Amino acid sequence: MDFKLTDEHVKLRKEFFNVCEELAKKRPEGFTGLEGCYDTDEGWAYHLDCAKVFAKRGWLTLGWPEEYGGQGTIMDKVFMSEATGYYDVPGVDIFGVDMLAPTLHATASQEIKREFLPSIASGERMWCELWSEPNAGSDLAALSTSAVRQGDEYVINGQKIWSTGAHRAHWAFALVRTDPNADRKQKGITFLLFDMKTPGVTVNPILYMDGGHLYNEVFLDDVRVPVKNVVGEENQGWGVTQTLAAFERSNLGAIMGMHRQIEELVNYCNETKVKGEPLAKNPLIRSRLAKAACDLWAAHALAYRIVDAQSRNEMAAFDASAVKVFSGELQARMAQLGTEILGPYGQVKHSRWALFEGFFEKWYQQSFILNVAMGTNEIQRNIISWYGLGLPRMK
Amino acid sequence: MDITFTEEQEMLRKSAGDFLTAECPKTKARELEEDEKGYSPELWQKMAGLGWMGLAIPEEYEGMGMTFQDLTVLLEAMGNNVLPGPFSCTVVGGAFAIIEAGTAEQKKDLLPRIANGEAILTTALLEPGSTCYDASGVNLKATAQGDNFVLSGTKVFVEMANVADYMICAARTKEGSSDEDGISLFIVDAKAPGISCEVIPTIAFDKLCEVRFENVAVPKKNMLGEMDKGWPIMQSIMQKGAIAKSAESVGGMQASVDMTVAYCKDRVQYDRPIGAFQALQHIMADMWIITQTSKYLVYQAAWMESEGLPCAMEVAMAKAYVNENYKWVTERAVSLHGGIGTSREHDTGLYYRRAKAADTAFGDTDFQRELVAKKIGLIS
Ligand SMILES: Cc1cc2nc3c(=O)[nH]c(=O)nc-3n(C[C@H](O)[C@H](O)[C@H](O)COP(=O)(O)OP(=O)(O)OC[C@H]3O[C@@H](n4cnc5c(N)ncnc54)[C@H](O)[C@@H]3O)c2cc1C
Repeated sequence: MDFKLTDEHVKLRKEFFNVCEELAKKRPEGFTGLEGCYDTDEGWAYHLDCAKVFAKRGWLTLGWPEEYGGQGTIMDKVFMSEATGYYDVPGVDIFGVDMLAPTLHATASQEIKREFLPSIASGERMWCELWSEPNAGSDLAALSTSAVRQGDEYVINGQKIWSTGAHRAHWAFALVRTDPNADRKQKGITFLLFDMKTPGVTVNPILYMDGGHLYNEVFLDDVRVPVKNVVGEENQGWGVTQTLAAFERSNLGAIMGMHRQIEELVNYCNETKVKGEPLAKNPLIRSRLAKAACDLWAAHALAYRIVDAQSRNEMAAFDASAVKVFSGELQARMAQLGTEILGPYGQVKHSRWALFEGFFEKWYQQSFILNVAMGTNEIQRNIISWYGLGLPRMK
Repeated sequence: MDITFTEEQEMLRKSAGDFLTAECPKTKARELEEDEKGYSPELWQKMAGLGWMGLAIPEEYEGMGMTFQDLTVLLEAMGNNVLPGPFSCTVVGGAFAIIEAGTAEQKKDLLPRIANGEAILTTALLEPGSTCYDASGVNLKATAQGDNFVLSGTKVFVEMANVADYMICAARTKEGSSDEDGISLFIVDAKAPGISCEVIPTIAFDKLCEVRFENVAVPKKNMLGEMDKGWPIMQSIMQKGAIAKSAESVGGMQASVDMTVAYCKDRVQYDRPIGAFQALQHIMADMWIITQTSKYLVYQAAWMESEGLPCAMEVAMAKAYVNENYKWVTERAVSLHGGIGTSREHDTGLYYRRAKAADTAFGDTDFQRELVAKKIGLIS
């Protein structure tokens, strides 16, 4: 066993960190996470600017095949997420770069790849994911948005919900039902791509708990999409969604974000005096921050092990579930801890009274993004129980 | 022993619940978060009409003469419905302080007005830089000048100061032999010249304010309690405040459990109500257990306070316990609702945010546990 990075990796990782450190200096005040990208015009512009900087360096195509302009391996992609995560810098479209591109590499035709990969690589076209519906969340295969073929087009009708960034994204990848009579609900689903400006697409905001505009409901009324925009085969869309093995799923971005949070809390506790003593001397605070650090180092070690397994093509879905659950819940605890250490100021929103620009108050609410979206933690635990531990599955 | 509510309390609980559900639906609670005042004057008048502000004020001052425990029954109903506004700070912080420590004149002047819904009160204690409810944090200066004291300094996290008529303000009148010594309390006219107030944006939008005092003249007769000996009164206000907040919180916990159970019976995924999944059943069973234990711990503390028994430890225990568990229950409630629970329009998040706000009010968990640690005999 060897946890050591090669010299080359160390060098590259440093470069990612240096560039992100520079980009972080241009961060709009109060910017953080996904909501930061989608809530304000300023945040969105910053997201696009960072994407351009990364694109120029070829950093949006890490791990892609060379013929599509790819460079490096999944390891490089991981170091990149560590850097963006640590500095809370956007620019890597989680939908386009992280989800759609690997899906296209794994399943799409040459034509689709040629048409859609270049604008992902250049950071110009941003994507959203139209999967969930009001009655199809965890049970995604129950989705009912219909696509009826007319000549070389599909006519799509239905409603999507919780569509993150749909009010800003240029294009969408959607799941629709093309065969309502299939014998299993996973059959008869098709994965397709369309322009968010297509007539019949209506995006209405749903505000997140903290009042930010993160996600939306999207109504699709007679939306016409060319048949050539199908990824994979018609009715085989479920299989397309299951190509997760190709995704970078270490959660190292979130984990590195937490490293930074701990550093900031440590600095704060060293510098802030209560009754003449630095907070850092308070044994309760010492113990809790130390516990957070132990948890975090554990998460980090597990994440590296998952990256390693993935780079050998040995990662199982339940491996990724484990690190998702552990790191997501750790972020929730970290936000709690942050608000607690700040005392009454922990509840203050970004304003002149806030500490850390209201970061912990925000994440006290936003940690649900990690624990509910992309498969809830209950669902992840089911996956671990069934596929990881081989426990019987109740019908 | 009889650990049940009296018939009167049951009636109060029921009628308060019905009234609040009708008059202050959660949509309104959320609207009031964005409202500049943060409460509804109309609703306030209706509540006064029901005698709520005067519930525990003696009859001679136009109140109903009921007990502190009766009041906590009402507070629990308010927490269950997340009623925003200055009820608790007016009644628990204001009226009780005056009942306990006020002069005959102060009582005659203020208590009937509180009972009739004509005066809003609040407590000004915390200051910038002080992170806990500790006497050492009181540095705002009050200096005697003729018939007045002149107050200068800044208070923060003053609940509803934006609409308050009076503030009970802790000030330092001398450098005493200890932190506690030398603190005096003043009933300050919130509109007096030299006072400026700004609302601090907080997670629960509960109108916690920064209040600046620039040479604010307060007549000497408006001192509450004795000169330099105000701290024990403030402690008593804080102790009642902690119980009141805990009572509201257990109301919110129950609402979160009820909402989640109802949703899980109703929401279908994988062709069955999600409540059929044992993974969720056990979470809800735990939410219920924790709510039960929290309630009875709070009821006990409220009863002791109401009976005038020494209960500093029991109150601190209740607050510490409820702090942690209200946050936990509401976090589970949001999670079990999935996407909808994370949205602004849904009620679970409203409780989740309130739970965070309740946590620091009147002393956070560490602060309360320290009190408990001393009381159970740990040397320090
Ligand atoms: C911030 C955020 C962003 C999102 N962004 C997107 C997006 O961009 N695109 C998109 O398509 N979707 C998005 N989603 C939707 C997300 O994928 C769903 O919310 C999620 O899959 C859960 O579905 P649901 O909300 O319908 O909850 P439900 O599926 O109704 O779940 C409710 C509760 O039941 C539990 N549960 C359900 N089934 C089981 C089971 N079998 N065993 C045990 N427990 C179970 C869940 O864990 C949860 O606690 C987003 C959600 C959030 C919160």
